[in-house]
Amino acid sequence: MPYYLKKRITDIIINIVMLMFLGLTLLPIGWMVFSSLKSSTDIAIGRVGLSQTLDGRPKIQWENYVDMWKNVNFGLYLKNSLIICGATMVIAMLLSTLASYSLSRFKFPGSDLFSNTILATQMIPAIMYLIPLYIMFVKFTVMTGIQVKGTYWGLILIYSAFFTPFSIWILRGFFASIPKELEESARIDGCSALQVFWHIALPLAIPGIIATGIFIFLTAWDELMFAWVLTNGDTMTIPVGIRLFVGNYQNRFDLMMAAATVATLPLVVLFFFLQKYIVAGLTAGAVKG
Amino acid sequence: MAKVVLENVFKYFDDVVAVKSVNLEIKDKEFVVLVGPSGCGKTTTLRMIAGLEEVSEGKIYIGDRLINDVPPKDRNIAMVFQSYALYPHMKVYDNMAFGLKLRGLPKKEVDERVKEAAESLELTKLLDRLPKQLSGGQRQRVALGRAIVRNPQVFLMDEPLSNLDAKLRVQMRAELQRLHKRLETTIIYVTHDQVEAMTLGQRVAVILNGELQQVDNPVSIYEKPANRFVAGFLGSPQMNFIKGVIRKKAGKYSFEAEAFTFVVPPEVDGLLAANVDKEVIFGMRPEDLWDVPSSTWLEEQHRFNIKVKVDFREMMGSDINVYVKAGKDQMIGRIGTFADPKPGAELDLVMDLRKIHFFDPETQKAII
Ligand SMILES: Nc1ncnc2c1ncn2[C@@H]1O[C@H](COP(=O)(O)OP(=O)(O)OP(=O)(O)O)[C@@H](O)[C@H]1O
Ligand SMILES: [Mg+2]
Repeated sequence: MPYYLKKRITDIIINIVMLMFLGLTLLPIGWMVFSSLKSSTDIAIGRVGLSQTLDGRPKIQWENYVDMWKNVNFGLYLKNSLIICGATMVIAMLLSTLASYSLSRFKFPGSDLFSNTILATQMIPAIMYLIPLYIMFVKFTVMTGIQVKGTYWGLILIYSAFFTPFSIWILRGFFASIPKELEESARIDGCSALQVFWHIALPLAIPGIIATGIFIFLTAWDELMFAWVLTNGDTMTIPVGIRLFVGNYQNRFDLMMAAATVATLPLVVLFFFLQKYIVAGLTAGAVKG
Repeated sequence: MAKVVLENVFKYFDDVVAVKSVNLEIKDKEFVVLVGPSGCGKTTTLRMIAGLEEVSEGKIYIGDRLINDVPPKDRNIAMVFQSYALYPHMKVYDNMAFGLKLRGLPKKEVDERVKEAAESLELTKLLDRLPKQLSGGQRQRVALGRAIVRNPQVFLMDEPLSNLDAKLRVQMRAELQRLHKRLETTIIYVTHDQVEAMTLGQRVAVILNGELQQVDNPVSIYEKPANRFVAGFLGSPQMNFIKGVIRKKAGKYSFEAEAFTFVVPPEVDGLLAANVDKEVIFGMRPEDLWDVPSSTWLEEQHRFNIKVKVDFREMMGSDINVYVKAGKDQMIGRIGTFADPKPGAELDLVMDLRKIHFFDPETQKAII
C-alpha cells in the first residue's frame, strides 16, 4: 500500500475515534440542554421526544429559562459563584505564579523540602479535611466572634488554599521550560530580578498561567462538598443552590436542567475565547528557545 | 570601552575546578579570543566577566572598577549568546530597544539608535518580525544588534557563529571584524573553532582544563606555541609529534628519531644545550613537510630530505594531505596536487628545518 494511502486511512480511523469521543462527551450536555426545553411532567414520565401542546404540536418549553430565576434564587447563586470562583482564581494565580517562579529559578534553604511538601499535600483526599475544617471554622467563631462559616471569604480561603499548591506544581514546569539564557540576557540588558520576572518570564508563561487559571475556575465552579458544608443561604454557590430545584414538595428537573445549562455557559464562553492558550498550555512546550 | 583584568581567578562547581588561576589583561578596544577544547572553561570565564556566575576566588576588573560583586545590569557589558537568546515574545525592534528602554533613555533616542544599528546590520526590513520568523543568520544579526545599540564598555560573545552554516560563518567573521573597527570596543570572544580564533583575535588566549596556556597574537601562538597542547590544538591537520633524542657531535646538534636523523640548524641549536642525550618530542606542522618540487627555493641548510611510505591521502582540493610513515612514526605532510602518491608507495618529502619545534616530554613545555 502506498505511503499516502496508509496515512489517509490512519487519519480516517483517528478521526472516527475522535468523533466517538466527542459524541460521548457531548451526550450528557446535549441531554441536559434538551431536557431543559421539556416540561416537568414529560421529564417525569420519561417521554422521549419534545413536549407537545394540547393539539399535538411539538412545544419548546422556553418558559423554563424564565421560571428558573423565580422558583429558586438562582441569580444569587450565580453571583456567589462568580465572586467566590473569581476571587479564588485571582488569589491562587497570584500566589502560585510567584511561588512557582521562585521555586523553579532560585535555590534557597528549604526550597526542595517545600516543593516536595507541596506534592505530598496532593496525596491526601480532600474529604479528609472536611470535618477538621468545619470544626475549625466553628471553633474560630466561638473563640473570636468572627464569622467564617457561611461567608464569602471563608470559602475563598479554603479554595485558594486547595488550588494554590496544585497550581504551583503545574506552573513550575512552565517556568522551568523557559530557557535560562533569556533571563540571563535580560539581566545583562539591565533587568533586576523582579524585572526579569515581569518582562520575560511572565509573558512567556502566560499560556500556562491562563490554562491553570481556567482549570482552577472550573474546578471551583463545580465544587460541591465544601460549598455545601461551609456556605449558608446567602452565600450558596450554584452546585449547592441547583439542588434546591429538587426538594421535599416538588421535583423541578426541567428548571434544574435549565439552570445547569445557564451555569455551563460562562465556562463555554471562557473556553471559546481562551482555547488557544489552553491547548498551548496543556501541551506544555509552549516556549521554545 | 574599557580594559578587563582577571586576577588569579578560580571557579569551582562543587568539586569540579572549572577555571584555575587565570591571569589575563585585556586591553581597551582589544579583540581577544578565548579558545580551547570543549569543557575547558571558556564559557565559565566569560560568564564570570558577565556576572552570571560568581567568582570563587580572585578579582575581575572592568576599567579600574572591581566588579566581583556588581550585578550584571550595572557592569555595562553586552553579551551575545550561542543560542542568541532573543526574547521570543518581542519583535525585533523591541528586542533591540529593550535594554535602552530599561535604562530610561528618551523614546526618540531609543528609536534613533535602534534604527541606526538595524541599518548597519541590514535588519531594517525585519524590525516588525518576531524572532521565530527569522532565519538563523538573521537571528544572529539581531543578537548582535541588540548588543550594539547598548553601546557597552565590553562585548562578550559566546560562540556566536557556531549555529551558522559554513558560508555564513565566513561572512559573519568578516562582519565582526568590520564591526570591531567601527565600534572601537573591547570584545571578548569565546570559540572552540581555531579558524575563528586565528582570524578574529588580535590576541588569542588558549585554555586547557581551566588553565590559561598561552596568550599572544595569532601568528606568535601558531609559530611559537608555548607547549605541546597549544601546538597540537591550533592547526589542522594537527602538528606531527615524534619521539627522539638530541645528540651533540663535533659541536653540532642533531635529532635522532627511530627512522631518521637530521642536523638542527645553527640558528636554534643554542637552546638545545640542556637537552643533550635526553628524550624530546619533535614537532613539525604538516604544511612544513613538502614534496620535493615545491621546496626547491628552500636553502640547502634548512632542507632535510626524508624517505617515507605512503599510508593514505586526503584530497583537499587545493592540495593533498598525505599520511605517511617513517619507520614506525606516523606523519602528515602537505603536498601539491600534481603529485600522485599511491598508498604503499615510497615518497620523498622535504622538511623545512626553520619551522621545527621541540617539547620536553615531561613538562610538555616548548624547548624551541
Ligand atoms: N553549572 C555547572 N555546574 C557544574 N559544573 C559545571 C557547570 N557549568 C560548567 N561546569 C563544568 O565546568 C567545566 C567548564 O565548562 P564550560 O561550560 O566553561 O566549558 P566550555 O569551555 O565553554 O566548553 P564548550 O566549548 O563545550 O562550550 C566543564 O567541565 C563543565 O562540566
Ligand atoms: Mg561553552
